[in-house]
Amino acid sequence: MIAQTERNRRDFFARTRDGVLGVALAQLLHDDFFPGQAFGEEQTQREQFDLRAKQPHHPAKATSVIHLFMNGGPSQMDLFDPKPVLDRMDGKPYPGNIEEIGNTGTNDIGVMMGTRYPFARHGESGMWMADVLPHTSQMADDLCLINSMRTDHPNHDNALYKIQSGRLFMGYPTFGAWTVYGLGSENQNLPAYVVLNDPLGPPKNGTRNWTSGFLPPLFQGTRLRPTGLPILNLKPQFEQPSAVTESARELLGKLDKLHRRDRPFYPELDARIESYGLAARMQLSAGEALDLNRESRSTQKMYGIGEQWTDSYGKRCLLARRLVERGVRFVQIFLEEQPWDSHADLAANHRGACLRTDKPVAALLQDLKERGLLDSTLVIWGGEFGRTPTTQRSANGYSGRDHNMQAFTSWMAGGGIKGGTTYGTTDDFGHKATENPVSVHDFHATILHLLGLDHQHLFFERSGLEERLTGFEPPRVVSEICA
Amino acid sequence: MLVPSMKKFLITSLCVFFCLLRCAQAADPIFETDIKPVLSRQCGKCHSGKVRKGNLDLSSMKSIRRGGESGEALIDKLSESYLWAMIDGGEMPPDGEPQLSKPEVKLLRRWLETGAASKTPTALEETAITQHDVYPIVLLRCTTCHGPRLKRGGLDLRTKSSMLAGGKSGPALLPGDPNNSLMIQRIETEACPPREQLLKYFIRRPPATEVKTLRKWIEDGAREDEIQPDIAGTTPDPLVTDEDRQHWAFQRPKAASADSSIDAYITAKLKANGLSLSPTADRDTLIRRAYLDLTGIPPTVDEWQEWHNLAAAHWYSRMIDHLLASPRYGERWGRHWLDLAGYADSEGGVSSDPIRKVAWKYRDYVIRSFNKDKPYDQFLIEQIAGDELIDHANADTITNEMVDNLVATGFLRMGIDQTGSRTMNFVPERLGVINDAITVLGSGVMGLTLECARCHSHKYDAIPQRDYYRFKAIFQGALDEHDWLTFKKRALELDTLERRRQVAKTNPPLKAEIKKLDGKRKQAITDLRLELLRQHYPEQSDDDRSATLKALRIADNNRSQPQRILVEKLQTVEVIPDEQQPDSVVEARRSLRAIEDQILKLERRLAAPLTIRAVWDRGEPSPTYILRRGEHDKPSRLVGPGVPSVLTDGRTPFNAKPPFPDGTPKTGRRLAFARWLTSGEHPLTARVMVNRVWYHHFGTGLVKTLENFGRQGELPSHPELLDWLAIQFVNDGWSMKQLHRRIMLSQTYRQSSRVSESANERDSQARLLSHMPLRRMDAESLRDSLLYVADQLDLTPGGPPDRVDVSLNGLVSAKPTESGRWRRSIYLQYRRTAIPTMMEAFDYPEMGPNCLTRSVSTVSPQSLMLMNDGRIRNLAASLAGRVIKLAGNDERQRVETVYKMALSRLPTDAERTLSLRALNEFKQQWQGDSKAALVTYCHTILNSAAFIYVD
Repeated sequence: MIAQTERNRRDFFARTRDGVLGVALAQLLHDDFFPGQAFGEEQTQREQFDLRAKQPHHPAKATSVIHLFMNGGPSQMDLFDPKPVLDRMDGKPYPGNIEEIGNTGTNDIGVMMGTRYPFARHGESGMWMADVLPHTSQMADDLCLINSMRTDHPNHDNALYKIQSGRLFMGYPTFGAWTVYGLGSENQNLPAYVVLNDPLGPPKNGTRNWTSGFLPPLFQGTRLRPTGLPILNLKPQFEQPSAVTESARELLGKLDKLHRRDRPFYPELDARIESYGLAARMQLSAGEALDLNRESRSTQKMYGIGEQWTDSYGKRCLLARRLVERGVRFVQIFLEEQPWDSHADLAANHRGACLRTDKPVAALLQDLKERGLLDSTLVIWGGEFGRTPTTQRSANGYSGRDHNMQAFTSWMAGGGIKGGTTYGTTDDFGHKATENPVSVHDFHATILHLLGLDHQHLFFERSGLEERLTGFEPPRVVSEICA
Repeated sequence: MLVPSMKKFLITSLCVFFCLLRCAQAADPIFETDIKPVLSRQCGKCHSGKVRKGNLDLSSMKSIRRGGESGEALIDKLSESYLWAMIDGGEMPPDGEPQLSKPEVKLLRRWLETGAASKTPTALEETAITQHDVYPIVLLRCTTCHGPRLKRGGLDLRTKSSMLAGGKSGPALLPGDPNNSLMIQRIETEACPPREQLLKYFIRRPPATEVKTLRKWIEDGAREDEIQPDIAGTTPDPLVTDEDRQHWAFQRPKAASADSSIDAYITAKLKANGLSLSPTADRDTLIRRAYLDLTGIPPTVDEWQEWHNLAAAHWYSRMIDHLLASPRYGERWGRHWLDLAGYADSEGGVSSDPIRKVAWKYRDYVIRSFNKDKPYDQFLIEQIAGDELIDHANADTITNEMVDNLVATGFLRMGIDQTGSRTMNFVPERLGVINDAITVLGSGVMGLTLECARCHSHKYDAIPQRDYYRFKAIFQGALDEHDWLTFKKRALELDTLERRRQVAKTNPPLKAEIKKLDGKRKQAITDLRLELLRQHYPEQSDDDRSATLKALRIADNNRSQPQRILVEKLQTVEVIPDEQQPDSVVEARRSLRAIEDQILKLERRLAAPLTIRAVWDRGEPSPTYILRRGEHDKPSRLVGPGVPSVLTDGRTPFNAKPPFPDGTPKTGRRLAFARWLTSGEHPLTARVMVNRVWYHHFGTGLVKTLENFGRQGELPSHPELLDWLAIQFVNDGWSMKQLHRRIMLSQTYRQSSRVSESANERDSQARLLSHMPLRRMDAESLRDSLLYVADQLDLTPGGPPDRVDVSLNGLVSAKPTESGRWRRSIYLQYRRTAIPTMMEAFDYPEMGPNCLTRSVSTVSPQSLMLMNDGRIRNLAASLAGRVIKLAGNDERQRVETVYKMALSRLPTDAERTLSLRALNEFKQQWQGDSKAALVTYCHTILNSAAFIYVD
């Protein structure tokens, strides 16, 4: 015998998986068609998914995330983790078995390479940072450097899957998707999980960096299109007098209502009718949120907007602030392809990548702070792995570093983070995490923790298995970095 | 009032006190007297000498020490004891079984804490190291160079005798003398595996624990025991009980009278719930429903007219026969099967997402099979074991049948496969590919979540981990992680003589021409880039421009900073759309496109390559070991091929025989499996398939969880009907078309979709089928129908998929064919990383690894697309053109024709009135342009619920 259940609103909502408007639609329909009933009172056997804001498992330190993703793998020993021993060995051969370098091949390995830039201590905390980060270093006391990050694969593709989704392979939800699955969003007129791409092109792995994997598509990242309309088909792509558009919409509404009248008890027909009005609302909301002209000249300047190297990244950082301000839960900023992946000419290439990002990143932190948003916004900076202490052969001789999965640096700031902290250590070459290593699962568990989510309790049932962002073996929340 | 509670408190306190006292004084618990009774009472049902779930026996100290499939149950520290972890974590005893009481838990804890004492001391048995501890290591680390394919130095390390026989440098081992054994020396000095070949052959150096095992084995004389692989025997299976076999889906379908009917089962249940079938839907509704259901496109006006007017009593069954005979049927139902198989035109896994060049041959095979009404049993056998049906390697002539059989095995090759990458072809990745094939078979064909037993015995169903690995062994002859073929090499070049001649004749001249054009294309790209630079950066020097071109030839992560800056300058102007580019750039873009179009045209004329993406048994499977916790380097018991014990009587061995004893050596394992699966007595095969067909006709399966008929799956809404259909299906010779007829000719299927008050109260989900549920068109039907009514659908079947364009802002759209129209959605290219945007918007799934049920969303981006997308608008214009041709200038006629074309019916009076009024209004707003008004009207109808939903 199967359970007899009423066809109820929730069944319909279960099928209304709108990455942008599902919930607004649900509430609207509720108001229109089920007056006087409390929203969501009945139980149903069908699991329902929506983007309404959800209660966290425990009080949250941060309510939104800005993930500044540094694709390609920034070099820890050239930016955050000075290594005098390595510097002294500059030009000498690697002193151990070169298979330990831990990369896929050993053929192109060169000699040890010392830090490329001068380091200094910054802030009251005396945090080490290289001189190519003149702006970020001024925010040192707000940052927590994690110098002991490590991952499980030295390939970009797999390490990217890993850092985004906790797995080495394609098809798993990213931690952004898990976050909005767990917490929903505060603003139903904007996407819950926004991706800001480099206008020059997508990052490596493309849309897989913000996929919802096996979670319902509702939870995937929405990429704001860098050219033309930010959201697809927001306006007609053909010429038509607006009066005609109005009349056509009216006709459609009337025909659909006739159709519905003949077919009672099909809430999906109601949903279709209403989706047009909601589209209009979305057009307004998105337009307002994305309009950087509403920012003062001085704010724009602070982000480096209008300057040659910082204009593009600065705009995305400012946009991220505007989105978070409006209740968007998760914002991810990407760079084109892999600018940090300096197999060649590292000294100049890293300087270039810093030039583009350093000032906007510091401005974002400063701006969030001034507006009182930094306390509730977790800002995360980092890539998918680090770089080797040795050089690597390339078209330009031996001038860059290879991938290093055994140690890298990421930093966090804002919501719930103990500022001015440097956490974990690496060996004398910056090659392997030694004290307090932080795995990608630990990293994710800590982020979820700050957002008020318990990594063990955040799961999705698939074919009888409870799937988690952090896998089967329990990870460690790095509580030492939490305020 | 106070007294009783006071009393209770006192008693409780006393008890606690007494307990504490007793605990403090009591002697440490002893297994035989204190523990054994508890374990045998509470755990003995599943973990005894006779029944060993998880291969764990808790009846003696010795067997506890030995542990189960997850390793040792008892380790001397409480924190490391698996037994304690399971008890303390609440995992065991499982839900639904009597739980341990608190004192019992406490007792067990104390026993473990105090060293797990027993009367007869039993240390962990020191088990002798045998060849089967060594072979898995050798397979992982050595046999790539010293095994079936390569015998470097004349050495084969696969067996002890071949190790002793050795190679050019002498025997690989000296029993009893590890220090002087060559294999130990080579490994310990890291001469083997050689450093420079680790990545080439995807080998990792053995860790110290493995070297220790090798040493110990040799030291102890290289013991070789007679160990038979664990396969089903004739004695009762201790891991799966007859009780487990009682689950409804593991029992054979129960025969009922053959002259029963769908309607009889459905009405009986409706009656029991105070309901009845709805009235028959009107004729136009039935026409549209049947057309969309069977072919995925609506009828033409002529076809509609014919069925609408046909006076014969059997008009409906004639229409169904007509549709089942249409080639469009296979394109529709083949697509459903492709979802199940996880069809994709790319390998996935890595960011480059390489194209699967001839995956489409499998797609066409599926469509052909459905159109031919190939019996489902044969369809399965071909896909699972097509290579073991005919010995093509020893055939005098290659027939179409052989080719088809091999193409069919592409079914087992549909999952994500990154093993062709330069760095992602290690054993774990290969195991992933094999697991995907098992998942597809399990979920799609057997209705079982077999993959859950990969790391540990299934949590809910009686599928021990052993059975997953027995099942995996079925595929070992073809998909062998220790003798792997990457997707690049796992291909056969094979076809009929006629086709070989055709390819030899047609392709070389075309390819030469394409090559020439490709040179031109490269030049055009260079020209375009230079023009972009000249136009946007007039100040730039020629040197810088050529340096930019040079930098583009270097991988982006190997560029120097000046090179990066140059490239970025170019990229910045490359993304500017045509409208904002100078004419010369637009012109350069146009000439590039013209060359590309020419190339595409020629490519379309190429005869299909002879390549087949197949799976074939290679006759030399490496042994299969259970992998503890699914980890590739944690081998345990040796198993042989077999099917899940719970689906058998547990006493019948799995019988695989080489299919060509005098020909090509093959194991015949998959053939034996396929025959077992399609024996007609299998409890799941027919049920799972009729349930899928039911789902596609009615929107919900009789068993709602199509992929899971196990204990976690939902019970069938109409169990007798499911069984009856399954039995009829087999009796009808596994004919799919007969099954469609049976379903579609029923009154149940012919009902109206209107929901009455009482139906809404008691059957809102239509699980009882008190009405036909309304359904939204899926992505394919919607796109195909839009194109079809606009006369923009190119019905050319088969062949390589139509490529897609990815626009600068990420929009993915299909390229039109030479006719300027578009082909059916099933013929588009489905690259995992570039799914056509429209398909994605209407719920085309991510294949991970396959899709058993598509989700149906009602979301605003869909409405925005149908309303605002320029191409949808063009289709509306095209529809309007057809309407004018047929209806002339009469507005009334126009409205009726639009309804006939798009909705296969006439408008109601209300619809007609609304439409005519709106047309008039549009016309005024378009300043008297009646054609433009009609375009707007058509566009509106294509957006309407009447078009998008099927009654």
